[in-house]
Amino acid sequence: MWWTRPLVRLAAAALLPLLVPAIITIALWVLPGDPADIICPPEICDGTAALAARWNLDQGPYHFYAHWVGQALQGDFGNSWRVQQGVPVGGLIAESLPTTAELVLLALVPLTLASLLAALGWLPRRLDPLWQAIGLAPAVIFALLAAAAIEIRFGAISHEGLPALVRLLAGALVLGVADGSLAAAIVGTRTTFEEEVKERYIGVGVLRGEPVLANALPNVLPALVGQLRARTVHLLSGAVVVEVVLGIPGLGELLFRGTLMQDFGVVLAASWAFSLLASALMCGQALIEILHALAIRRFPAGVLPTEEVPG
Amino acid sequence: MTTPRPLPPRLRPGRLAPVLGFLAGALLLAAGADVSYYEEAAPSTLNPLFARTMVDRRSQELVFDRLFYRSAITNELRSGLVESWERIGDGRSIKLKLKEGVKWHDGKPFGPDDVCFTIEAMLDPATPSEVAKGYREALVGCTAQRDNTVQIEFTKVYHNPRERVAFSVLPKHAFNGTAINPDLEFSSRPIGTGPMKASRGKHELKFSAMKNPHHDPKIAGLIQTEGGDPLLQVRSLLNGGVQGVISVSPTYRGDVSASDEVALKSYDLRSWWFVALNTGSPFLRDKRVRQALDLTIDRMRLRELTIGVDPNDPNPPCEFVSGPFVQSSPYYNRAVKTAERANPEKAEALMREAGANKQAGRWVMGGQSITLRIGIDSSLQTEARDLLNQIGNQLQEGGFDRRVDNVTPDEWVHQAVTGRLKGQYDALIGKWSFGVVEDVNDMFHTRQGTQGSLNIFDYSDPQVDAILARYDAAKTDTEAQDAYHDLHAYLAKELPYLFLWKLDTKSAWRNEIRSNTISPYYYFTEFDGWRL
Amino acid sequence: MSGPRGDRTRVRWAALAGVLLAVLLVASALAPEYVSVPEPDRAYLSPLQAPPFGTDDRGIPLLDYALQGASIVTLPALASGLLVALLATLAGLVRCLDRPWLDGALQAVSELVGALPRLVVVLVVALMLPRQARGLLPIGLTWALLAAPGAMDEAAATAQRLGGSRFVEALRAHGFSGARIYLVHLVWFNLRPVIVRQAAEVLMQVVFLEIALSYLALRPPPAPAFTHADSEYSWATLLYQGYAALLGLPLVHSLVTGLMLVALVAVMAQAMRLAGRAR
Repeated sequence: MWWTRPLVRLAAAALLPLLVPAIITIALWVLPGDPADIICPPEICDGTAALAARWNLDQGPYHFYAHWVGQALQGDFGNSWRVQQGVPVGGLIAESLPTTAELVLLALVPLTLASLLAALGWLPRRLDPLWQAIGLAPAVIFALLAAAAIEIRFGAISHEGLPALVRLLAGALVLGVADGSLAAAIVGTRTTFEEEVKERYIGVGVLRGEPVLANALPNVLPALVGQLRARTVHLLSGAVVVEVVLGIPGLGELLFRGTLMQDFGVVLAASWAFSLLASALMCGQALIEILHALAIRRFPAGVLPTEEVPG
Repeated sequence: MTTPRPLPPRLRPGRLAPVLGFLAGALLLAAGADVSYYEEAAPSTLNPLFARTMVDRRSQELVFDRLFYRSAITNELRSGLVESWERIGDGRSIKLKLKEGVKWHDGKPFGPDDVCFTIEAMLDPATPSEVAKGYREALVGCTAQRDNTVQIEFTKVYHNPRERVAFSVLPKHAFNGTAINPDLEFSSRPIGTGPMKASRGKHELKFSAMKNPHHDPKIAGLIQTEGGDPLLQVRSLLNGGVQGVISVSPTYRGDVSASDEVALKSYDLRSWWFVALNTGSPFLRDKRVRQALDLTIDRMRLRELTIGVDPNDPNPPCEFVSGPFVQSSPYYNRAVKTAERANPEKAEALMREAGANKQAGRWVMGGQSITLRIGIDSSLQTEARDLLNQIGNQLQEGGFDRRVDNVTPDEWVHQAVTGRLKGQYDALIGKWSFGVVEDVNDMFHTRQGTQGSLNIFDYSDPQVDAILARYDAAKTDTEAQDAYHDLHAYLAKELPYLFLWKLDTKSAWRNEIRSNTISPYYYFTEFDGWRL
Repeated sequence: MSGPRGDRTRVRWAALAGVLLAVLLVASALAPEYVSVPEPDRAYLSPLQAPPFGTDDRGIPLLDYALQGASIVTLPALASGLLVALLATLAGLVRCLDRPWLDGALQAVSELVGALPRLVVVLVVALMLPRQARGLLPIGLTWALLAAPGAMDEAAATAQRLGGSRFVEALRAHGFSGARIYLVHLVWFNLRPVIVRQAAEVLMQVVFLEIALSYLALRPPPAPAFTHADSEYSWATLLYQGYAALLGLPLVHSLVTGLMLVALVAVMAQAMRLAGRAR
């Protein structure tokens, strides 16, 4: 059925933000030691009993989970213990999220451009080894080169104004190029189009004098959207390293600081925020698949093939 | 002097450096721009009740006023908040007349209620503050009076009671009650009466000048950034990217002092480095094993490899210590000699005496090879590079296996010094820093009640406790010195710590910043006098 | 590429991959337990003065770092690659078993697991792991599990293109045994390119992940490494020295050595992929 895949995706998107805290909750109780000690050592928090009550740890994992999710849905993640002591974690997430979004969106610009050029056939195939060779370099290498260049040019105290913008742009460039992102975008898009162009209906279209791209694009759209989602998730993952090395105050940097400083509240909230982003991407993909399928059902003859398009 | 090393070409200030430096200074003056400096790390909290690190204390010094403080210039006890004081009653209370017109950074008036609130908050057992513990021993309570005065009652008669109330004063109106927790927003957005108001960003802490009857800072703004790479700090400083570095790595001090644009300044921290030994662990319970470890460490070589000190330098930045005080301290017992070189033969004899034997070059005791689990406050490795592994190498060479770990500064302050790592480590490498009062009781006293709160491995020795009690009861400086001299001699034999060295801390500031007196320990106490 | 010439090319790539893997394994075996004691007099020596890689700013041979780094990454990265290969193989086989419910369940899990940014999960795992359990192996295996959905999806799609259960039935009709059908025809002839490529990619990614995490832990003040003991030095040390080279210290040879090692792993992964290509 055409709706199976989008439906599974929507279900997964709904499940993911519930699943991430659930897994962490299970881990909290499965790991050796008192969950209260893992969340916040007693010497920082006001005694284990008070802490347990405050974090709802005293009535078992379910109560903790339900309460945390309930509070999270209202935007209340408690206060940071270590990263920025006393500051509401929700505020930290709200400050960081737009930066990561900007970084990833900017990183998608070169990828989208490259995909477009590949789809149009303007990027010669013989250059593929070059993109692949560049893509073999891990993001951390490009990031450290960029960080050194920025810090030599602007000094380390350069987190506002132009230096901050340069950091963001450099980060986006690094993300967009390293870890095989660019190569995957070019080769992935080209392969998808080339497979589609082999279909008979394209040949018929060409005989009718219709442009290849206009005919192929509607049918490869779900596949391209799938690739775009995978690429965006990949960028979100890489953003952690890039943000930390380049000092970009995004969600990845917040998560890393939280991890290093064992600020459990921050780590839980930041990973939840990442799961929300992942969910939003899945929802987006499902929505496009549904719209696409509805379009196929509306205009079934001639233009679009009747068989299901792979997602 | 550090080992001579040619300045890497790109680190050398260019020919235009003097001109650029002058221009930078002129621009700063003209624009009233912020002065930026590198701290060692970001402060963990801005609430003085929860200060753990020197970074915390330095940052808080700009924001808060301590009720009394010691002047770095005259060494007198002074106060920005107190007009006058007097002893009253049986000598266990003092009455303070507060200055008029002092305001908090949010514009609210400062008054006696704030002083009493701070004392009550410290006395409240629901305030989980290590800082407060010290005051709980000395203070009974506080009464605010109408005529802008407060009356503070002590547990006993103190020789100089003002030294016992040198705490930072908190604003009553910023809290809901006297039970103060570290995770309140105040810890990041504090309100003080100090010369600067702080606001915390992600990568920096910004301070802006706040005028008050008792403060008139000449520098409009300060930006504190966490350190990062020491080389980058020095490069930025020489290029005029920042105006100051709180602690210049010994490796790059030569480079900084070669510059005409920057001045190296001593920062008296009275800090000494140590290896705390877990006297409760099976191998280290025996004093002879601890002594063997002491003799296995070649301190001269260690400081050469980690700090870069030339062994032939007659005036090294790092002097060895044989006990828990710096050599310039009146408590330092000069009769106890420092151990500079290793003595493997003597170490071996002690180990054999303790019942150990060597198998394939490794010490074995009770059928088990000795593996020491060693940790280090990782922030020390910025000043003494790779100290953990170099100590490990020397011990390995002496026949002791090792497993080493970096302990993050955060873990150090929350777990190591609170005695929570004793099950995980046999030895912890750290540094203690002191202000004017070098009170080491909490490091060596048996952990009980409020005593021994900084006892890393819960070391307990009735003789040590007795000596520390003598220090506590001392009525004169001589009595206190005698007690601590005895402590020094006793600890040098018992070795709950292996004492390493005192390493000078040097700050560097560009010449545009003038009259920048650096106070011992708190650094910014005389900040009002700093100017551009 | 098909025919004898294609076979020869694949063999050459396989030989290259084998040699590079052997280099890593030998380097791991030769790695010193601790790096040499610093010798300040031998600081900043070039590869010509102190072969093969020169020394760092404290006079420690870069070779020590290279060998220790190899010992940190080689086995965990191989284990992670093998795990992905195993899971991808299973997914391909399941697609041919005609068990739609199992297939559906795998897809649902893939969808969920594949949706998460991997490094985020790795950091959460690193936070929750007890200190004594920290190391590259658990982190690498976590990475492999997160990468597995993509590999499984691709392997299953390949099996699907063959015809799934109909392919198996057809071969049974030819009289082939089950073991031969599944192991030779399905896995070796058809799934191999996907499995080898995915495994090689994960192997490479785990090495790079180690470098990234160690690099982040090296920045002052040094933090405990998530991936190795604090007495060991990862290849990230060389890159960190490379960063100092960019700031002006004469340590360009550290940067070059670090990049060479990264290239070695990348080329090995590529060679594995090319060796595993379809006939």
